[in-house]
Amino acid sequence: MGSYYNIDAILTDAQKVPCTFTLDLPNLGYLDENAGGDIKAQTSISLPLWLSTLLAVQRIGPSQAPLCTLDLPPSISPRVLNALKADPRTVDLRSLAGNFYEGAARCLELFEEEEVVDVLCETFKKRAAEIADHAHNPRGALGEGADFLRGLDEMERQLFRAAHDSSKAMRLWMGEMKRKS
Amino acid sequence: MALPLPPGLTPPETAFLCEMEMVTVIPRQRLEGLNLLGGPTPPLHPPHRTPLPFWLALLLKRQRRANILPPPWLSPPSLSSILDLEKKTPSFSPPPPLPAHTTTSPPFLPSATADAPPDALPYHWLELGEMLLEAASDDIPEPDNVRRLMRDLREVRMAKMRAGVNVLEGGREVNLNGVGGMEVSEGRAFIGGVVDGLRKIGASKEMSRREREAEERENGIGGGDEEEDEDDGMDT
Repeated sequence: MGSYYNIDAILTDAQKVPCTFTLDLPNLGYLDENAGGDIKAQTSISLPLWLSTLLAVQRIGPSQAPLCTLDLPPSISPRVLNALKADPRTVDLRSLAGNFYEGAARCLELFEEEEVVDVLCETFKKRAAEIADHAHNPRGALGEGADFLRGLDEMERQLFRAAHDSSKAMRLWMGEMKRKS
Repeated sequence: MALPLPPGLTPPETAFLCEMEMVTVIPRQRLEGLNLLGGPTPPLHPPHRTPLPFWLALLLKRQRRANILPPPWLSPPSLSSILDLEKKTPSFSPPPPLPAHTTTSPPFLPSATADAPPDALPYHWLELGEMLLEAASDDIPEPDNVRRLMRDLREVRMAKMRAGVNVLEGGREVNLNGVGGMEVSEGRAFIGGVVDGLRKIGASKEMSRREREAEERENGIGGGDEEEDEDDGMDT
């Protein structure tokens, strides 16, 4: 999962995921803004990804039950997925999660929902084509595409920057050549 | 991040490599053969056609000591027939056929001399054409027409490259046969980024697929060389 110092990986790990505890946990109430208290079984709390994944694989007691169960995060809820299926271009991914794809990929490692993976791949491809069109626009992020570009997640922003830089380098070379001759 | 440069060659670097292509010049002045690092150049006797490296030809052209004979594919009829072909097919127009028994690659192929094949775009078509249009537009027949056709070709082919990402998924690939050096350097960052992103998103699916395959292999069903090849393709 990337380098230790990778900011994007750290931000991805900090995304909250809803977890439901299956056991009573004494003295862990501070996770639920109830310092000093206990966590009751069947409490649902949003925890960062790094913590919740560790808790979910932890098996304790004679029953070998997991400490908590994970739910799909709100950023890939069925409502969002339906919107993505309808038209990937109009969804503001950034407002759902800054590192939408990476967070979703981390969760999907635990869930194995192949249909969600397919929807996300399709979304990424459709949006990538749109990103390419905007990146070749010499006016950059201004103009009519501003709303779409504001809704890009971090991975798509890097893609946009890469595509924009290479088309800029190309234009620069063409311009320099004209000056030289 | 020691180097601020993106991976791959930048446009000026690609153009520099392109300057090693051989072009045909018609000298206007005598010049003895030069002993260059890349081998001796033939002596120039006007008005005999002589093959020279592109960079030397450009230098002589700027000093008005020679005229450059443009390659046959850089003419309005050839370019417009290639453009028609590009518009008809979803794939790129095929590169010129390799001469028999050759082991070299561009820029050491004679793809820009006066006897190059007229009906195919060589590897360095974009940069060579642009540089010729800038430095030697008076040697090219109908330069404005050629310039317009070059721009059309470039746009058609870039659009194809961008449309190519839509078929990418899992083991499938985009066919980039016949794409030129400058086009690669322009499209590399975007296509690489899309492939990388799809790999990240599809990682969990890929992992479960591999597990399933490993299980099947253990049970004695399926498995074999075909899957191995596919996995190799995904890593690159």
